Amino acid sequence: MRRADELSIGERAVIKDVDNSHPSAHRILEIGFTPGQEIELLNCSVFNDPLAFAIRGTIIAIRKKEAHCIHI
Amino acid sequence: MHSHIKSSDTNTPLITLVGPPNSGKTTLYNYLSGKKSKTVNYPGSTVNYSVSKILSKHEVNADILDSPGIISLVPTSPDEKVSVDTLYEHPKYGNPDIVIVTVDASQLSRHLYLVKQLIDSNFNLIVVVTMIDILKRNNKDIDIIKLSSVLGCCVVKFDGRNGDGIKELLEKTRDKIMGLAKEEKISPIAKFKIDKDKLLLSYKHIEEIENDVIIDKVLGKNGRIDIASLNENLVVLNNRRPFVKPDEKTLKLDKIFLHRYWGLAIFFIVMSFTFTAIFWIAQPLMDWINGGFENLSDFSSGLLGDNLFSDLISGGLIPGLGSVLVFLPQILILFLILEMLEDSGYLARGAMLVDKPLSLIGLNGRSFVPMLSGFACAIPAAMAARTIANKKERFLTIFILPLMSCSARIPVYALLVAFLTPKDKPYLGGIFFTLIYLFSIASSLVVAAIVNKFRDRIVKEKEDSSFIIELPAYRKPKLTVNLRNAYKNAKEYIKKAGPVILILSFALWALTTFPNYNPNIPDSDKLPAEEVNSLKNSERLSGSYAAMMGKFIEPVMKPMGMDWRIGVSLVATFAAREVFVSSLALIFKVTDDDETNHNSLLTAMEEAKSDDTGQKLFTTSTTIGLVIFFVFAMQCLSTIAISKKETGGWKIPILQIVVFTSLAYVLTVIVVNGLKAMGVS
Repeated sequence: MRRADELSIGERAVIKDVDNSHPSAHRILEIGFTPGQEIELLNCSVFNDPLAFAIRGTIIAIRKKEAHCIHI
Repeated sequence: MHSHIKSSDTNTPLITLVGPPNSGKTTLYNYLSGKKSKTVNYPGSTVNYSVSKILSKHEVNADILDSPGIISLVPTSPDEKVSVDTLYEHPKYGNPDIVIVTVDASQLSRHLYLVKQLIDSNFNLIVVVTMIDILKRNNKDIDIIKLSSVLGCCVVKFDGRNGDGIKELLEKTRDKIMGLAKEEKISPIAKFKIDKDKLLLSYKHIEEIENDVIIDKVLGKNGRIDIASLNENLVVLNNRRPFVKPDEKTLKLDKIFLHRYWGLAIFFIVMSFTFTAIFWIAQPLMDWINGGFENLSDFSSGLLGDNLFSDLISGGLIPGLGSVLVFLPQILILFLILEMLEDSGYLARGAMLVDKPLSLIGLNGRSFVPMLSGFACAIPAAMAARTIANKKERFLTIFILPLMSCSARIPVYALLVAFLTPKDKPYLGGIFFTLIYLFSIASSLVVAAIVNKFRDRIVKEKEDSSFIIELPAYRKPKLTVNLRNAYKNAKEYIKKAGPVILILSFALWALTTFPNYNPNIPDSDKLPAEEVNSLKNSERLSGSYAAMMGKFIEPVMKPMGMDWRIGVSLVATFAAREVFVSSLALIFKVTDDDETNHNSLLTAMEEAKSDDTGQKLFTTSTTIGLVIFFVFAMQCLSTIAISKKETGGWKIPILQIVVFTSLAYVLTVIVVNGLKAMGVS
């Protein structure tokens, strides 16, 4: 299964699940990364990390490690 | 009439304002709050939120409390915790009578999450929908009446740009307050716990609400309703939500601002602009203030004559006031730039850019804003560190804050740089200044990297590091609002630091004046009055308490190539750095010189000679040594106090005092003697 950190810039995907065991999972869900939601990887920072996603009409930056717990 | 209401000391109803970050909460607060808005301490911690009476013209008799933005009622960082605690169990105010929550209409599905939690917790709620203009820009609208009926609570619109909707909000607030008198107050239901299933259910509900209340004008107009609803049905079937594109303009700008190379270049340009603005704009203003107060001091001593009272005014009070006001320009400019960067949406991007490098040395992208504020003052900076959820990262950020070149050092560096700069090459001054700034940033990163190695010994808790931040849509900063906030911050700062500096200034004056106030000068009748005066001054100082203290610590000063007079000034700086310049002026002007003009201190410094060796006291090497000392030494009582408060113990402040002060001393000794060995005078 692919994870959100494997998206390439400009690519869209639908979230299948968020890995519960990840410590930031709850916050990631709270901020709107819920299953069924479509996201797009917009930018990555100069050092390839963090990643900026378009979600629910806004842009949220999260670390690669955190994007890894988002199944797509 | 509100006898049943919480407050122990007042009958005024309390309205608490909450909302997710970037939902227009602060704008609304600024509309509602009166001029006498004050920042208050949350018991057990420091300044965090503002309380104000609602502006009297609004005709609502209530206090309004503004607290940091929250995403949900389950806090992850200390600043969020304060907001949530304020809702449930504020020790002084109890829980609020009314909660106003702001919601960005274009972010409805995300922002309603907090609203739902507040409703479920039984708060007496008014929902304020903001940023409808952005929704309309995307050809959509919102049905407020429907939203109100599905949520089962009061909903009003508010336009932050012109204040439209404030009347209705006030009306509803008045109704609610009337209602308070009639019914028993309901206490909020216990706090939220982490529960994924509940969260997903909640979001599902919110998404249904969003579909109900958001009206898509384009789909309606183009007659594609059928296809649209068909698509929507499909979407529902697939359990998949349509993709909503963020603001177009923001997407375009981000292609540049977050670009691999351009983004980095722009970041450095923005940062250099910030620091050069401090130097180029604030410096002349600071010189002007300094000069003004020196003139005032000379004028008053001329006016009042030669007596103790005159000395107290022109030697204690006026220089004291001067050293309080001298960094007002820098503080104002830095706060203004910070406000504008924040308002424009760039600050979050800056934090994202530096997250990776900072995380390598145990910091976090969220350390960026505190570190930047540290260039104004370590105190607001330490408070800004509260947005960092991870304790180790937060403590490390607070730990290195004293290394940021705060405004109190500017007058010191200005003096030392002026001394180092050759008269025929004035442009070198700016370069020296920049070098000092770069050096202090580099040192802070090195220190952070080293201390990070011992992080597990300093903070035991094992927590995961995270960086989750919303990059808000770019918008033009509102200069009037920014100015108002910068002014408010600067005023707050002056109010806090001012009295301390003033008292120190008086203490220093007393220490350099007594006990030998009226020394006996032999043959004074044969000498010209001016010379008697100068002899008296120098005798008075060398017999003063300050001199006794200075001579006591002279053995420590010697290795740095400095004598007791610089020693006294340095001792004074451990209370507050900015005292250095005025104390040098006090000590050297009275010992060596009676000249009265702007450059008198520089001249006095150039002429100052060591008592033992007769060699010049201020040389290139000792002056550079002093710069190094000021870069590292932990010389600020207020910073120590805030470190203790924000870290909840003495460990971090004591570490700061020991590490930074010994680092300052050792490095200064090495640099001064190294330079001398290399042949630099």
